[in-house]
Amino acid sequence: MSLINLENVSFSYDKRINAVSNVTLSVEQGQYVAIIGHNGSGKSTLAKLFNGLVLPDSGSLLVDGLDVLNKKHLLEIRKRVGVVFQNPDNQLVASIVEDDVAFGPENLGVNRNEIGERIDFALSSVGMQNFRHSSPTRLSGGQKQRIAIAGVLALKPKILVLDESTAMLDPQGRKDVLDVALKLNKEQKVTVINITHYMDEVVSADKVIVMNKGKIAMSGTPKEIFRQKQKIEEYKLELPLPAIIADKLIEQGVGIKDGVLTERELAEELCRLK
Amino acid sequence: MQIEVKNLSFTYSKDSKNLSNKALDDINLTINEGDFFGIIGQTGSGKTTFVQHLNGLIRLQKNSGEIKIGDFDLSDKKCDFKALRSKVGMVFQYPEHQLFAETVFEDVAFGLKNFQPNLCDIEIAQRVEDALFMVGLDFNKIKDKSPFELSGGQKRRVAIAGVIVTRPEVLVLDEPAAGLDPIGKRDFIELLHRLHRTFVKTIIIVSHDMNLVSENCNRAGIFSKGKLIEVGTPKEIFANVEKIKALGLDLPTTAKLMHELKSKGVNIDCDLTVQGFIHAITGRGAK
Repeated sequence: MSLINLENVSFSYDKRINAVSNVTLSVEQGQYVAIIGHNGSGKSTLAKLFNGLVLPDSGSLLVDGLDVLNKKHLLEIRKRVGVVFQNPDNQLVASIVEDDVAFGPENLGVNRNEIGERIDFALSSVGMQNFRHSSPTRLSGGQKQRIAIAGVLALKPKILVLDESTAMLDPQGRKDVLDVALKLNKEQKVTVINITHYMDEVVSADKVIVMNKGKIAMSGTPKEIFRQKQKIEEYKLELPLPAIIADKLIEQGVGIKDGVLTERELAEELCRLK
Repeated sequence: MQIEVKNLSFTYSKDSKNLSNKALDDINLTINEGDFFGIIGQTGSGKTTFVQHLNGLIRLQKNSGEIKIGDFDLSDKKCDFKALRSKVGMVFQYPEHQLFAETVFEDVAFGLKNFQPNLCDIEIAQRVEDALFMVGLDFNKIKDKSPFELSGGQKRRVAIAGVIVTRPEVLVLDEPAAGLDPIGKRDFIELLHRLHRTFVKTIIIVSHDMNLVSENCNRAGIFSKGKLIEVGTPKEIFANVEKIKALGLDLPTTAKLMHELKSKGVNIDCDLTVQGFIHAITGRGAK
């Protein structure tokens, strides 16, 4: 059985237009899933559905076998699905890093000793153990986001959802946050769902979901998705820049193969010509 | 208007005697009229503190250098900051958060009325219409709407109309493309180039997006720990790969490609724009 299972899920904020419309999808344990789509396509609403911040108007949504529409399950579901949002400054609650990370487990009534262990685990997972007694206000944007991730990890979630968590960060901060998410995915089998506008974050995903007008417009591996250039254009998205450059080169008659997505692949193709 | 900055330093907490606490440390920089100037650097490197000096949002501290913008001397106490601000427009990150009026018209007109109280209603309406036209919005369709019922991209355009309505010669933008989807970002950059061909002579853009800088800026500077450590063309400032990485920055895609190719023994030379890269490859007879 899939870890997240949506069947014909619809949701509307205003009871007129569906922000998410008749969506059926499943996410498997241990996958790295990227969700892309233009502003207003329904991506973030999907993130909020995953942990019951908004509830489906119709359809069914199971997380680890638990039904979000059953109120008794909501707390359990939120333990399993941690969401990190865009602005780090809106997510940190305490004046000391370790208190911030402890906030979630304390609320769930985890006992004192175990909270200590969870803080150790969470902070070392994101590489921030040396900042345990620091004030979050003195950290950079990337460091704050890693603390926000640690706060989520302290709940030992099965699923980590990044909702444009790297949008406000500098290149180093963006790289650090992504590296942490991918490491958790590889080493601890945390399922990662990354909602992003950065096409270069998408190329390493197991599965890509393209949202358009609240519906799933495309779904597949990065290669399968980015091969369909006209559709990408139609859904107001863009290929990763190395792929755009490759296309222009092919147009100019340079004999490289179609379908490269990264700088490395393109460089290798170009060298093959020599 | 040329911008000339000499020996500029700035410290946020005045009582602090700790020199390492300087948000800006001895900045010397000339930005020429006509430049599309990029500013990059890690979070906390001083980029925002620097650009906020340019329209007097942050005032020069005593004995901390000088800034001249055209005829405005910002070190002079008698400097007319109001006039300066109508000539140096500032667009912040998430400009849509600054919208406040009941209608788009009122929002865009607000700055203009403030800076030029003598304009009559007809002139104001004309200027607001021009500004909305320049950012690609239909005046008649949008003027009476509430700014809050617009899409994210439209809100951002309205916010920029509210800045360019005073016809600034210098436009400073702090992370203007953050959070936009790919096409939104592309349209937005096109808009900047369109403005750059009109009364906006100089564009200064702070960005974490290295591709945006290499593709659009003729010159750029790198900030690190309050210092301006590099100024030049994108090709010049991204030349030292190790240094860029040590600074926690990234290379533009074209520079990464050049670097990858170099490690495989293929040397190519280009200005780091996509077009330049393609010329460099096809010019080598790679067909």
